[in-house]
Parts: sequence; structure tokens; C-alpha cells
Amino acid sequence: MKFCMITFRSVTPAQRGEGLLRRSGLECSIQRTPRWMEEQGCGYSIRVHCQDVMPALELLRAHDVSFRKVYLRRENGKMEELAL
Amino acid sequence: MNYLDSGATSFHKPPSVEQAIRCAMETCANPGRGGHPAAMRAAQTVLQCRELAGQMFDCSAEQVVFTSNCTHSLNIAIRTLVKPGDRVVISGFEHNAVTRPLYALGAEVLVAGHRLFDWENTLEEFERILKKGVSAAVFTHCSNVFGYILPAAEMAELCRKYRVPFIVDGAQSAGILPISLRQWGADFIAMPGHKGLLGPQGTGLLLCGSQPTPLLMGGTGSDSVNQEMPEFLPDRLEAGTLNVPGIAGLGAGLSYLQKIGIEKIHKRECQEAKRCVEGLKKLGFCVFAGEHQSGTVSFVPTDDCEEVAQKLAQRNIAVRAGLHCAPLAHESAGTIKTGTVRVSYGFDAAPWQTGELISALERCKNF
Repeated sequence: MKFCMITFRSVTPAQRGEGLLRRSGLECSIQRTPRWMEEQGCGYSIRVHCQDVMPALELLRAHDVSFRKVYLRRENGKMEELAL
Repeated sequence: MNYLDSGATSFHKPPSVEQAIRCAMETCANPGRGGHPAAMRAAQTVLQCRELAGQMFDCSAEQVVFTSNCTHSLNIAIRTLVKPGDRVVISGFEHNAVTRPLYALGAEVLVAGHRLFDWENTLEEFERILKKGVSAAVFTHCSNVFGYILPAAEMAELCRKYRVPFIVDGAQSAGILPISLRQWGADFIAMPGHKGLLGPQGTGLLLCGSQPTPLLMGGTGSDSVNQEMPEFLPDRLEAGTLNVPGIAGLGAGLSYLQKIGIEKIHKRECQEAKRCVEGLKKLGFCVFAGEHQSGTVSFVPTDDCEEVAQKLAQRNIAVRAGLHCAPLAHESAGTIKTGTVRVSYGFDAAPWQTGELISALERCKNF
């Protein structure tokens, strides 16, 4: 299954982001960031449909919710970081 | 109980506060430490409270930091802005929560304005000292002893004019008077969660307009590889597990205030304070009253203030006597030798409370 993950440095911005996206009608869920994705350790991520990732990032930027990186999970299960 | 000691803590909280605390104890684990439902519920509870506080005090949720009380918040703020030997201006009505940390730092403290309820004097004196050059300013929004509401917005404007970083102590005003971190441009605003905000004891807030220096170091559930505290808020100041049940209760208190409206509460408290002043004057006590006064009234009885408070306590009336941890305010008002009896109304202030107090004092006088 293909999806995108937006990573955050801590739970507060991740939750604020999740609330923002949901209120804007974007389907998403919050989860811990896989260890390998977060070199600083212990972060949270928001999982969104790939078609929603650009509007999601715009919303986050517009509301000053800082995120770290964006990853794409391909159909074959491989994850890759997206250049922003 | 006729509770007239809301300056110390709010006692009769809205029922929703206790419900929220119980619910958090039953359903919440550690926020920001896991991805399981109980941890996420805790994180949601904390965020909800942070967002409510951000709305009430005109700042972002990240600028709201949870502490254990207003003193804790003030210590962080003062340690951030004041270095040993710095010259600092304070008002003549500060609490020991401000003066003791400054004393411990060895700051040179200049006191501005000793006249109660006199905005002109407060502002003139404050500006006179700002002009001399100071490293920081710390002032209370409202005196805990006399209920004197200081011209905080104007004092903030003066600090901005002279480019002096400043801290506002909102211990007695949060939840009663409007406070705006953004409009005031304050570096820090400190407040308790358990007084006007109606949360439980063990809760406090620090609103951060500047980058703070942490007082406590430890785990934050973020940036774990880094051995320095995170640069970002609120994590920078929130080392260790948060008081989630307390924060849940505080969130319920904030929701209640949002529903009722703080203007309405302030009006109710002031109305009762005025009735109280009239009653006390009729009994012949020395009463401190004037313009710009909150729902707190201090008076000097004919007998020792502690004995009067004790007699009232025996009649199930709760007031506070003595120096109220604010010797500077008593120095300013000339009551350092006698102390005062303080009557401080809460969000549920009612005429029966004043009536009962005045009748009891009348009977005490005749003992």
C-alpha cells in the first residue's frame, strides 16, 4: 500500500498537525516515527494518502506547524525520503 | 464553608474539574512517550489544555509551558533574563516568588511605585527607573495582598519603549483579567493553574515570548540523542513526566472560564469586594480600597490580624492574615508591623458571603 509520512520532532506539533489536517477534511493518522527515520530519536509522524501530501504540507506551513521530513512508502514496501 | 481565600487557591472548583482529573487517572498514560492509545489519550489531553490556554492568553500552543506552580514559572523566567549583579526594576507590590529568586541571584533590585491604586505614580516611577537603564523588569499584574491591579499593558509598553525585557507575574490575574502575550510583547508571563484558572494545585503555566533557559534537565520524549535540552518549545522546559491529571483538571477549568466569560467573573468579584469595603469601613477598620481594585480587599483590624482570622475560622469563614508572602507590598502600604486580614473572592462570589463575614466581624469586635 502506498502512503506518505510526515515526521515531527515531538508529539505537540504532530498532534497540532493532525488536528489541522482532519479539520480540513484530510484523512490522516498519528503514530510514532520508525527509529530509522528519526536520527534524533523519539519523534511522531502523520500518515496521509500520497495525493494529500502537498495540501497537507501547505496547511502545516500556513499554520507554522514545523515538520522535519516527508517519506513515501511505495507499493513494494520500500520507503524513501522525498526532497522538499 | 464561607471561603474567602481565593487569593491562595480556588477551593470550590467546577465539578467538571474533578471529573476530568478522575477520567485522566483512569485513561491516560505518559504523553509523548509512546504510540499506544493510553499514551495518545494523555497527549491529546495535554494538547487540549495547551490550546485552550493559547486561546485565552493570545499565543501559540507551543508557547504554553506546563510547570508545577507560578513560583516555578517565575524562577525559570527570572533565571533566563537575570544574571548575578544585574540591575532589575520591580513594582512595590511583588511577592516573595519574585523577590527571593532575585535576591538569590544577587541582583540589584530597584523598586518602582509604592502608592496603592495610583497608576500615575506607578507609571512615573517605573519609567524613571527604566530610563536609568536596567537589564530586566519584573512586575505583578495584581497585588496578592491589596488587589491593586497594576497598569500592566502600559508598563509593558514602557518596557518595549526602553527595550527592557520583562516578566509579568499573573498569579492573581490569570482567569480574571485579560492577558495577552502577543499584545504585551512580554518575554514571559507566569501564572498558577490552581487559582483563577480553577485547576488543581500542582499546576502552573509559563507563557514564553522568548527562548528560555531550562531550570530542569531530563527526558522530554523528543530529540533523545541530543544530550542538551531541545531548543524547541514546549519540550525545552518540560523535562520529566507531566502532571497529566492536573493538566486535565486545568483544561476543564479553562473550558469553564471560556463558557462563563472572565469579564463576568471579574465583575461579580469586584461587586462583592466593594460591598465588603463598605461593610468593613462601617465597622471602623482601616480598609485599603481604591480604583483599579480586584476582588481582593485587605484591612487592619483593631485586634491582631491572625487572631481575627482565627476567630473567623472558628465560624467557618476562611480568610488569610499576616504578610501573605509579600513583605514588600506591606512595606509599601505601611502594614509590615501589623499585617492585614485579606478577603479574596472567587469565581462563585455571592452576597451572602459578604453579609456573613461582616456580621461575624461585628460579633468578633464585641468579644
